[in-house]
Amino acid sequence: MKNIAVFIDGKSGQISESSQRLLVLATNWLSKNNLDNMYVFGFEPVNSEQLKEYASVVQYTHIKIPDLANHSQVFSSLLADIQQKEISQFFYVKSLLMDTIASFIANKLSLPLIANVLKIESADSAVHFTKSIFSGKATLTTEIKGDAFIGAFSKSFAIDFTNNTSNSSVSQSEITLGIDSQNKLIENHPLTGSIPLPDAAIVVGAGRGFKDPSNWGIVEDLAKEIGAATACSKPVSDLNWRPHHEHVGQTGVKIAPKLYIACGISGAIQHLAGVNGSRKIVVINNDPEAPFFKHADYGIVGDVFDVLPRLLNKLKSH
Amino acid sequence: MKILVCISVVPDTTSKITLDSSNTRINSEGLTFIVGPYDDYALSRAIEIKEQTQAELVVLHVGTADSEALIRKCLALGADSAVRIDTVAVDSYQVAQEIIQYAYDKSFDLIMMGKEAIDYNSGIVHALVAHGLGFNHFSPVMHADYDGGKLILEIETDLGKSKVSSTLPAVLGCQEPIAEWKIPSMRGIMTARTKEIAVIAPSKEKFESQITAHVVETERLQKMIPVENAESLIDILKSENLI
Ligand SMILES: Cc1cc2nc3c(=O)[nH]c(=O)nc-3n(C[C@H](O)[C@H](O)[C@H](O)COP(=O)(O)OP(=O)(O)OC[C@H]3O[C@@H](n4cnc5c(N)ncnc54)[C@H](O)[C@@H]3O)c2cc1C
Ligand SMILES: Nc1ncnc2c1ncn2[C@@H]1O[C@H](COP(=O)(O)O)[C@@H](O)[C@H]1O
Repeated sequence: MKNIAVFIDGKSGQISESSQRLLVLATNWLSKNNLDNMYVFGFEPVNSEQLKEYASVVQYTHIKIPDLANHSQVFSSLLADIQQKEISQFFYVKSLLMDTIASFIANKLSLPLIANVLKIESADSAVHFTKSIFSGKATLTTEIKGDAFIGAFSKSFAIDFTNNTSNSSVSQSEITLGIDSQNKLIENHPLTGSIPLPDAAIVVGAGRGFKDPSNWGIVEDLAKEIGAATACSKPVSDLNWRPHHEHVGQTGVKIAPKLYIACGISGAIQHLAGVNGSRKIVVINNDPEAPFFKHADYGIVGDVFDVLPRLLNKLKSH
Repeated sequence: MKILVCISVVPDTTSKITLDSSNTRINSEGLTFIVGPYDDYALSRAIEIKEQTQAELVVLHVGTADSEALIRKCLALGADSAVRIDTVAVDSYQVAQEIIQYAYDKSFDLIMMGKEAIDYNSGIVHALVAHGLGFNHFSPVMHADYDGGKLILEIETDLGKSKVSSTLPAVLGCQEPIAEWKIPSMRGIMTARTKEIAVIAPSKEKFESQITAHVVETERLQKMIPVENAESLIDILKSENLI
């Protein structure tokens, strides 16, 4: 038996956008490589109808996890389940929780774990992984001999085929993990409100070109319309125009969304260090010489106070 | 108490990455190498905990002799001794196996690392080592206090931030503001000269992977859209399923 596991995430029963892409990729991989079964795991009950849209015949396992899961003893029931299902290939999109679980599985099953995967291809008795390195400045290909592995995908990975699932059926089950007796949760400060920046699939970034914090309404409106998180350059957070945790770059948050729209940001190397991992970059700046244009997929030389409202109008007219 | 700090040696963040003539490796010529910035935070905090607890502090690096000057700098900052596992580090999984192999019988209480190495950005060596040794694991850690045999930690999670208490032994992946980076003192530099850097052979346990190392610089389309047609950007982004 050659079976694969896909770990997905999401909120309130909705599968996240990157997990949707991962399911399509894994479904395609399964049929292309004549593998047997696909098992999907997640940390919430799943909406079967939504799952069927992205994957054929699956068994979904809802993993019930304690508040703190930072010790191997917590995961032993998961290991037993995986062994019983004879799973040898694992796919997930990087997150802190999944990195911990994947490291545990990698150790117990002696599987190579490859991080920040952008692309996976099968070769003669080997698998090739293209992964992002140096925060997206370059990519590298790793070859794994054999066909057992754990692939941790970067959020910005792309799929170049469409979803062609059919005859789906979903059966659901549950496993409960152990309690972490070593460690104690003292306080919890959940993120509130908007989309957390490191997780966002789309990010709108704004720089000193906006001149004044009172001009951020338009950045937020655009972000809201396309379901993006907002980011800023370092001077903007140094000036207290925006909160510190929104600043991206070498000294701030590193992002790897599928789309980054940078507005009124010059594109200094320290800023690029935090956003290079983005799959596609759009730059809007009124200075045609702004260095950011050399690192853009799409560029518009224009005034943000003219261009952004027009983009918003266009989006709203649809 | 015994503390181990694991350091990566990486090109400085502002480096332009190019390929060597074989097209399979990063060209190290002209690059400045540094101790990984997050690893430097881990080391700085480890030195403070050492001063508080009189712990023994060992620095470990998996890599070639080229890194000795940077290891020496860690000794000058206050580590008691250093170990270099003499092999070319090609992958986080391999590095983790080497660290586990070295540490499993040395009874460390605390292993501190950076949250990620800034070259391959895997962010998994600490978790792999923790599970390999059966230690607690936390990353990224923003504050770490040692108090009465326990650690009080501020950590980031996928859902926000938490404060937790952890028993030892534990492995921590560190990030700012866990400590301020330190600068070696003249005295530190002098005493570092006599401290030991033990060189040990890599374990034979190799996993069946190979880096084919075809490195390609990320390319951007650099397509300009005339400002009069700015709205067409929306159609392009929609057609590429980006929004
Ligand atoms: C050690 C170190 C670490 C650093 N770390 C970071 C980091 O993590 N992140 C970071 O961002 N920076 C960082 N910096 C700072 C970085 O070097 C730049 O100074 C910074 O990114 C510039 O921010 P900016 O582009 O918003 O501002 P500016 O450089 O002032 O650029 C503003 C841009 O807006 C454009 N503009 C002005 N008006 C308009 C308009 N009406 N419409 C359209 N465009 C307009 C201008 O043409 C210009 O290109 C760091 C610097 C150092 C030395
Ligand atoms: N070659 C190495 N030698 C020793 N420690 C390392 C090495 N590479 C990575 N590490 C440690 O592991 C952490 C995470 O690395 P990574 O998982 O590769 O991103 C780093 O911040 C270092 O503390």
